[in-house]
Amino acid sequence: MTTAPQGSRVFAALFGFAATALLVVALSVALKVSVASARQRLLTPEAEKPKVAIANQAEVAYCTPRFKQVLERVLHSCGLATGEARRGCQPADVKNFASISDADFNELFTPLKDRGAVILFDVGKEELDDRSKKILEDKWFERKGARYFFVVARASRTGTQAANRALSHRRANSIQFHLTEVAKDPEIDKKVGLLWLGNEFAQLSKDYCGWPTSRPETKCDEESINRSAFVSWVDCRL
Amino acid sequence: MFGPNSRAPAALALFASLLGLVFASYSTFDYAKHLDRRLHDVHCSFIPGLPATAEAEACRAAMYSPYSALLREQYWGGIPISLFALGAFTFFVGFSLYLLIAGGGAPRRAVIFFAVIGVTPLLVSLLMLGISVTELGTLCNTCVGIYVSSFLLALGGMVNLLTLREPRVAPYPPDLAGYDPRRDAVPASTRPQVSGLLPLAWLTALGLVTIVPSLVYASTVPDHRPYLTKCGVIKQAEEKNDTLVKLRTARAMQPATLFEDPLCPTCKAFHERLVQEDIFDKLNVQLVLFPLDSACNWMLDRPLHPGACTVSKAVLCGGERAREILEWAYSDQEYLTRAGKAGEPTLRAVIQERWGPDMIRCIDDRMTEVRLNRHLHFASDNSIPVSTPQVYLGKQRICDEDTDIGLRFTLGQLAPELLR
Repeated sequence: MTTAPQGSRVFAALFGFAATALLVVALSVALKVSVASARQRLLTPEAEKPKVAIANQAEVAYCTPRFKQVLERVLHSCGLATGEARRGCQPADVKNFASISDADFNELFTPLKDRGAVILFDVGKEELDDRSKKILEDKWFERKGARYFFVVARASRTGTQAANRALSHRRANSIQFHLTEVAKDPEIDKKVGLLWLGNEFAQLSKDYCGWPTSRPETKCDEESINRSAFVSWVDCRL
Repeated sequence: MFGPNSRAPAALALFASLLGLVFASYSTFDYAKHLDRRLHDVHCSFIPGLPATAEAEACRAAMYSPYSALLREQYWGGIPISLFALGAFTFFVGFSLYLLIAGGGAPRRAVIFFAVIGVTPLLVSLLMLGISVTELGTLCNTCVGIYVSSFLLALGGMVNLLTLREPRVAPYPPDLAGYDPRRDAVPASTRPQVSGLLPLAWLTALGLVTIVPSLVYASTVPDHRPYLTKCGVIKQAEEKNDTLVKLRTARAMQPATLFEDPLCPTCKAFHERLVQEDIFDKLNVQLVLFPLDSACNWMLDRPLHPGACTVSKAVLCGGERAREILEWAYSDQEYLTRAGKAGEPTLRAVIQERWGPDMIRCIDDRMTEVRLNRHLHFASDNSIPVSTPQVYLGKQRICDEDTDIGLRFTLGQLAPELLR
C-alpha cells in the first residue's frame, strides 16, 4: 500500500488554488477589457452605420425630375401643399406654372396609363354614370403608396372657351364630390389635386382612346376623349 | 472499475469544468459585446472554437429572454447568469485539478465535498433546460454545451466517490497476470484527516469565485441612460381616420404604439417578452400593422414575410378579438409562414380553418384593404424605420437595441410604473 506523501498533497492543494486564482484574475481582466471595449464603441459613433430604410411614400420610375417639377408646381399652385382651402388649377394657371407645351404636358402622364383611367362624360354634362363611379372608386381604392390623386378634367373643342372652362371645372368637381362621399377621408382635400383645362390646353389626341376608360365599348374619337377627366394616383414623393 | 488511486474521475471533472468554462466564456463575452448597443454575431455551436455567426436565432432568443440575466432594472442588460457559470466552473477547474494531482491522497472530505457541490451546476442546468423547453421553446447550442459540461462534472464528482471504497485486500491475492490489487489500494484511514471546517472554507471560496466575475462586470458596465431617449419621437401620434387597432389590456396605464408584423419572428419574441414580464397588460396599446410583405407594402421590392399582408388583414378583421388573432399568428407563426410561402390559397385555407369563412370574406373586403393601407401610410407619415417591431412609449421611440436585453432597464427609466 502506498500513501500520497504530505508534500505532494500540499503541492496539489497549492496548484489547485493557484490555478483558480490565476483563472479568476485572467477572467476578470478579460471581462474588464471586453466591457471597456464595448464602452469605447458606445462612445464612438459607427463609421459605417448599417443603413435602415425609412418608411416613405412610393417613388417609381416615371417620377422623373421634369414630371416632379410639374407636379410640385401643381401642388403649390393648386392649394394642396399649402393646406389652404382647395381651389384647384384652371387652364391659365396650368399654362403658367407648367411652362410646358401641350404635348409635353400630356407626355408626362403617359406612364400613368395603367395606374389611372379616363372618366368619360356625356356632351355638355358633368354627371358621373355608374360605370364611371365604379372605375373611379376602383382607382381610388388602389392607392398603395401614393400620396396624391390627380384629376385632370377637360372639355371638347365644341362650344366657347369660357363655357368649356366652366364645364371642365364642374367635371373635376363631380369627381371630387363623389370621392368625398365614398372615401370618408377627412383629409381628402390634401390628397386630391384638381386641374381643369377646358379646351384651351393639352387636348388629348385620338391615341388616348386606347387608355382604360369608363366606356370602353363606345365609339371614341378626338371629341369624345376630351369630354373627360383623367384620374390617377401618382406614385412620386413630392 | 475505478480503484482508490484512480485519477480518471478527477480528469473527467477537469475536462468537464474546462468545457463548461469555454461555453460560459462564449456566452458571457457575446453578451458583453452587446453593451455597445450594436448588433453582433454570437457563438452558437456545440463545438468549441467555431466562430460566432449571424445565424444563431436560438442563442439570441435565449440571450434576449428574461431568464438570461439578473438585475435587469439596475443595469442595462442586467448581470448575465453566464457570469456565475464562469465563476463556478473556474472554481471546479481548480478543485478538480487538485483532486487529479492529489489522487488517492486527497482527503475523504474533499472527495465528498466535490461530489456534492459538483451536482449544483447540473441542478441549475436542469432548471434552465426546463425554462428553455417550456418558456422559450428553443434550445441554444451554447447553453446545451453548458448543460453537458455540468452533467459530466456531476458524473466525475459522483464516480470519484468510488475511489473512497475500502480496498478488499485479503480475499484477492495477485491474479494470474501478476496484478496485485493491494498494491494500489489506499485504505480510507490512510487518506489525510482534515478539519470539518475545511468544506465550509471551500464553500465560501466557491461562493467568492462564483461572484467575482459578476462584481467585475457590474463595476465596469457603461451607463446607458443618456442613450435611451435619442431615437426620436413619433410625429403624428394618432391616425386621422381612427383605423389603428386598439388592444384592450387589463391594467392599461401607459400609452404605447407598436408597429408589428404578425409573421415577423422578432415581433413574436418581443410580444412574448412583454407578456412574460407582465408588461403588456399594463400598456394601452395602439397597434399599427406593418407587414413586411410587398403584396401590400410598397416600401419593399420583395416579400420578406410572404402572406403577412393577409394575416394582418385577419388581425384587422378581428375587431374585439384582434389580440387573440395576433397571438394566434405569433404562436402558429412557423406554420403560417410555411403556408404563406406555399401561396395565398394555402394561407387562406389555414385562416379559414381556424377562423371560419366570415373571416375570409372580411379579408377580401375592400375596406379592409383600405384600412391596412392606412396603417402603412401612418408608418410612412411617421417615417419609421422599415423594420419591425417599432415601439413608441407615449411619443418616445424606444431604440431597437433597448427592446431586447435592455428592455427592463429602459422601461425602468422611462416608465417605472410598468415594472411595479
